Amino acid sequence: MGWLGRIDLTMATLRVIFESGEPERVIEFSPSKAPFQHDGEPGSILDVLLAHGIALEHACGGNCACTTCHVIVKSGFNKLSEAEEGEEDLLDRAPGLTPTSRLGCQAVIEDEDAEIVVVVPRYTINQQVAQPR
Amino acid sequence: MNQRLTYTATVERILEHTADSRSLFLRLSKGTAFSFTPGQFISIAIPLPNENRVRPYTLASSPEDDGPLEIVFNLVPGGAGSEYLFQRKAGDQLNFTGPFGLFTLDRAPEVETIFAAEGTAIAPIRPMLRRALAQPPSAPLKLFHAARSRGELLYAEEFEAAAGRCSKFSFEPILLQHPAGWGGRSGGLVEHIQELFVDGDKRRDRAFYLCGVGQGVIVLRDLLRKAGYTRRAVQYERW
Repeated sequence: MGWLGRIDLTMATLRVIFESGEPERVIEFSPSKAPFQHDGEPGSILDVLLAHGIALEHACGGNCACTTCHVIVKSGFNKLSEAEEGEEDLLDRAPGLTPTSRLGCQAVIEDEDAEIVVVVPRYTINQQVAQPR
Repeated sequence: MNQRLTYTATVERILEHTADSRSLFLRLSKGTAFSFTPGQFISIAIPLPNENRVRPYTLASSPEDDGPLEIVFNLVPGGAGSEYLFQRKAGDQLNFTGPFGLFTLDRAPEVETIFAAEGTAIAPIRPMLRRALAQPPSAPLKLFHAARSRGELLYAEEFEAAAGRCSKFSFEPILLQHPAGWGGRSGGLVEHIQELFVDGDKRRDRAFYLCGVGQGVIVLRDLLRKAGYTRRAVQYERW
């Protein structure tokens, strides 16, 4: 197998399940190419989603100052950057908190071969600002 | 699909504080109800050529006000939001959602409380104090506001007047450098807070509301929590 083939094999995947019932999305991307747009930590779930036309709400601009980008990680929790104190302080007050809750703007996908599955709670998405890439 | 209600407001007035900081006063159309808790922000739509970005702006006005909503901000070169807002003129319209944010205070605290902010990050503290001082407070309230220049000590006259009216409230402006004729504190906010409330005594029954741009707030948070103040007693917002 050539070198290009290896690159294809090491893409990270992010599967997004919408509680609102919209069809799920599977995004393949290379974490080392982050940032993909302007908001949230480079390579964060928010960064990846926004760059792929999924308008995860982020009222504070991805600055870790609200909980509107709250996602529930179904798979790959350990493949995400560890939550810092600022994120924990906010998550404590997030509606619908679960043990694998994260803020999309802070949870960075670092592994080149990570397979992450997240659920976007019903009240988090804001379709209104959806923009294609 | 739960969609946020989008509000439209008209820029009623612009107040220049300094060459690169100003307030916009936003008037909602008549009959539009909008309520918020002191400390919260709104998320303003910034229309860019190829995307709609949202940027948060803390409300410096009070829910008690009947007047327009006030946002206060610095011109950040290259910052999409502040450049856009700096170009707005009276009569222009803005769309926003909100309110958002958990850095709030909706009643006077029952313990001694220290409010500390840098520059325009005084915005959330102003309505918090207005709320806390609505009735004579039962515990001391102390405001430390640090800025680069006197012109950036926003609302200083208002805070001084409030301190004159209420003996339980004190206002300490801090300038980064000490200009000639300045009788107040100078230097860094972190150093003053450390000297007074960490090294100064062993009491750890105070509460803190900290707001600023950049790492300083995080340094203060860690300093206070490590010094023995409980996690919940140290509330903060970092922009």
